[in-house]
Amino acid sequence: MSPSSLPQAKILPATTAASSNVSLERQLVRNLAQRSDRPALLWLASWLTALAVSGYLLYLTTATSSTLLFLAAALLLGSILTVPSYAISHECAHGTAFRTRWLNETCLWIGSLLYFEEPYHRRYSHTRHHTYTWHVGKDSQMPFDTPMTLKGWLLEISGIALVIYETKVFARNALGKFSPQTRGFTPENTLGKLKWGARACILIYATLIILLVRGETWVWTYLLLPRLLGGPVMLLFTLLQHVELKENSPSILESTRSFTTSAIGRWLYMNMNNHIEHHLYPQVPFYALDKLRQAVENQVPPPDKGFWRTNLEVLSVVVRRSLGMGTKARGLRQAAHMVVSAAEAKKGKTSPFAHKTTL
Amino acid sequence: MATQDSEWIFVDTVDALDEEDFMRFDHGGETYILYKVKGEMFATDGLCTHEAQHLEDGVLIGHIIECPLHQGRFDIRSGKCAGGPVCEHLNTYRVKIEGDKLFIEL
Repeated sequence: MSPSSLPQAKILPATTAASSNVSLERQLVRNLAQRSDRPALLWLASWLTALAVSGYLLYLTTATSSTLLFLAAALLLGSILTVPSYAISHECAHGTAFRTRWLNETCLWIGSLLYFEEPYHRRYSHTRHHTYTWHVGKDSQMPFDTPMTLKGWLLEISGIALVIYETKVFARNALGKFSPQTRGFTPENTLGKLKWGARACILIYATLIILLVRGETWVWTYLLLPRLLGGPVMLLFTLLQHVELKENSPSILESTRSFTTSAIGRWLYMNMNNHIEHHLYPQVPFYALDKLRQAVENQVPPPDKGFWRTNLEVLSVVVRRSLGMGTKARGLRQAAHMVVSAAEAKKGKTSPFAHKTTL
Repeated sequence: MATQDSEWIFVDTVDALDEEDFMRFDHGGETYILYKVKGEMFATDGLCTHEAQHLEDGVLIGHIIECPLHQGRFDIRSGKCAGGPVCEHLNTYRVKIEGDKLFIEL
């Protein structure tokens, strides 16, 4: 019997390599998807070392009278704390970072607490993001309006949108009053885990606040302030994943962006700059993404050039869009409907919203 | 699961599966996976119980099959869930070898 004659109702049209007309030999994908604890343990050791060194630098600045030096050191620690906390939380939500399950689950909790999302919600909402990548009303992780405006960019990059959204999720889930969206992507018999997970997180966050109120200033200096300052750096990485690209497409190639970045950027982000490749084959762990990129490079668009350059292009586009100017970017890959020419903009043409968030 | 009405269905020759290998088998409008791990043969449903993605593109880690889309895990010996996001078990099926032929009981 051929696969096409199987009952199609059972097979959801998930956004995958198949829906994107990308194919690799099955054995190659299986080889790339093989698991080992070693790469993630080495990465974890390097992360902890970097945290200790940057934390010590911050400690040294507290002995000086320079506020600028202190804030620069806090930003450094914050970037090293926050970008990897997103990355390890994401990788462990997939369960691909480590071969050993308990290592995945432990790092999922630590990463998600730092990122500010309840770990089980993180896992389940992310499953829906992969099933319906950038599909309006179906993808549970479309955090900003598309096309993006300057207001949307500021809400997103400042972390305000994330904090408001996740605070509501924590509160609702802890009370057991799950949103229709949460019920949509979470199996009924798993909702209890989300409820108790949210309660555990709130307890941990409340403990930190109580410690701070009781005069434990290290909570502010080495955790909260760096997390606040590092948040925008993390969100500049995650913003590039889908911004300015096509909604509601079955093809990952149209909805998702890969970009080049430095060795430090790849380390901080656990190679997730290869984002098209990750969505095509989510079973491939972070340490095999470079090999996967090489395997599919003749089937996917070239990556956008550089973390800073791509972000500046995005910012330029959203500013011009908000000012009623043309939105064609020079180097940024954009969906056709995101682009309004300067002449069209003068006549008052704008790109209609495809997706509106509700904060 | 085998019932009184079950029968042994020819799948392929035994050399179709290498060690630590698995293959898809479609029959009667349903789809299955056969596995060979440490010399033993196993069979389960082919579709993940979470969102019906086919497990033929998944990852075999010892006796665990992992779904390629969301990385839900099942123990191929029992069909039981072995890690989120799955929470419904897979059905398992008996497998036998006669000569150089591989059969599944359906």
